Amino acid sequence: MTRVSIPVLLLLAIPAFAGDIHGKVIAKGMRDSSDAAVYVDSIPSKTFAPPTAHARIDQKGLQFLPHVLPVVVGTTVDFLNSDSVLHNVFSPDACADHFDLGTWPQGQTKTFTFKKACFAALLCKVHPEMEGFVAAVPTPYFAVTSPNGSYQINDVPDGTYTVKAWHPKLKTATKSVTVKGATEANFTIAK
Amino acid sequence: MAKPHRTPAISFMTCLLFVVLNTPSASAIPAFARKYQTSCQTCHIGFPKLNAFGEAFRLNGYRMPKETEDQIKLKPVSLGADAYKRMWPRAIYPSDLPGQIPFALNVKMASVYASSIDDTGRHLTKNDFQFPQEANLFAGGTLGEHMSFLSEVTWAENPDGSSPTELERIHLQIGSFIGPEHLINLKIGKFAADFADGFHEMWLSTNNGIDTLFHFNPIGLNGGAGLADSGGGVSLPSNVKGIELYGVGAHRFFYTVGAANGLGVANGNSGRGSATKDVYARVDYKLGGMALDGDTTGVTLPPENWRERSFRVGVLGYHGSGKGTNFPFTDSAQNAFNVQDKNFTRGGVYASWFFNDLNVFGVALTGRDHLDTFEPGGTLTKSANYRYRTWFLQSDYVIVPPLQASLRYENVSPPDRTAGSIRALNASLSYFVYVNVKGMVEYHRDLRNSKNYDLSTILRFAF
Repeated sequence: MTRVSIPVLLLLAIPAFAGDIHGKVIAKGMRDSSDAAVYVDSIPSKTFAPPTAHARIDQKGLQFLPHVLPVVVGTTVDFLNSDSVLHNVFSPDACADHFDLGTWPQGQTKTFTFKKACFAALLCKVHPEMEGFVAAVPTPYFAVTSPNGSYQINDVPDGTYTVKAWHPKLKTATKSVTVKGATEANFTIAK
Repeated sequence: MAKPHRTPAISFMTCLLFVVLNTPSASAIPAFARKYQTSCQTCHIGFPKLNAFGEAFRLNGYRMPKETEDQIKLKPVSLGADAYKRMWPRAIYPSDLPGQIPFALNVKMASVYASSIDDTGRHLTKNDFQFPQEANLFAGGTLGEHMSFLSEVTWAENPDGSSPTELERIHLQIGSFIGPEHLINLKIGKFAADFADGFHEMWLSTNNGIDTLFHFNPIGLNGGAGLADSGGGVSLPSNVKGIELYGVGAHRFFYTVGAANGLGVANGNSGRGSATKDVYARVDYKLGGMALDGDTTGVTLPPENWRERSFRVGVLGYHGSGKGTNFPFTDSAQNAFNVQDKNFTRGGVYASWFFNDLNVFGVALTGRDHLDTFEPGGTLTKSANYRYRTWFLQSDYVIVPPLQASLRYENVSPPDRTAGSIRALNASLSYFVYVNVKGMVEYHRDLRNSKNYDLSTILRFAF
């Protein structure tokens, strides 16, 4: 039995039933194509538990890093202040309960749990030019584009999904994608 | 503003002097070239004359039509994240600043040979190196989503050794703040009013402005007889201090209405000041070519961006009151009088035709002035209406892009019939060494007297 079961387990482990979605997002009219969140939209009859580990956004050099952070709904995000100046984080969006975490100094962290699907803008009252985004999406299958627009979402089970490309300044694009192994899906988004 | 009664010949001599001493400033604003990392030729046929895209850029509040973030190469400094818009009025509406100090300098040097006739009929000539003649410090840019600004400080160096500095223009513009895009825009400050769009000195290919239009003096004991000694602004103001609404509708219809300080202290005249406001308006329509808002739907444009086949036509009007502002005059018997321009109206037609390398444009304008003449004690001695007519026609031609020619005829029929009409010719040839370095030879002549002329050799550069 041992001789038979090991190859079977190995077969189950190889990614024959899970592929990836990769491709490029062209953000028309933008300086580059970074900061688009590409994600698999909700899958009927499937829910995903949020990770126990917290996600993190750093406030460093008067910027939110990363600028766009996708998380699965229910994820708790830590907001760390790495700057030597005070920072604040709040969101003007109802889907993020208009949260306001107050003001805190360097080295400290405050947290917020994104309980609803939301594209929440993050602002700082101390530095009005600072802007970041948390994209709380229904599935754990997401990625953020690099400056050249490329992205890759790993470990997506084979199947047909609605895939969306969201950008803070552009209209969201939607595409039906059938994943079978490595699958390419390209998007063009514009105002 | 003292204004003795003069003969037409002398008036024209002072006009020539005016041309020599007060050549108009003009705008080429490399601050925009830096912001977009683009050539001057994107907006200019040859600086300062605008092409159709430059006109759309200007009317759009110094922004490219349908501007996108990637066109702005020098990233602006954010004064508030975009998401702060949703916080207003609980937070100040977000804005931004130009990514670099938005200054630009234009420098003009001129060698001027002027010939004129003095009071005694003596022939005077003058050959003057005006190196430099003037420098113009421009600042221009955008503030946030809807606002923009433009200013020009001119430092001149006159042959008499004086070097006046003047804030020629400074205005704030609020674009498309309500209603459809491009339709309603507001300007406030000191600016070149849009009733002169297309023929204001700021955008002329020639060095000389159109003096017969902007510097004719319609005031005199029997109506005006010649050009103003200095300042101008009685026939049409070159710049106004005021508020203007303007816009573009249906891509090709242009309108402007404005209110401005009129005659009075603000324009260097003595009198009651600017208690009353002048009003002006203009409407235009452009057929063919790029639309006034930059739209090119259904139009095939040549790749050479100075070329176009279009026709723009419009009407303009200006109304003001100089009541309370005295213009001193003496008659031939040395009796002193004060003349007030109680109210005045200007009405005209503007047309501009582009046919590939050729642009022919002109204005025909009629003016009416109600002049009250007072004795020094204040007794009204005469109250009458006077009319004058003026027109010009200019033809600009791009021989090859670096070499451009211009020819203009100007005419005024003054209300004082004893003065006779003023007729002038202006011819110039411009050579662009680089797009921001320009050499010019320009000849300006009084067609009534062959000895009244000037010939200027000009070098201009902008950076």
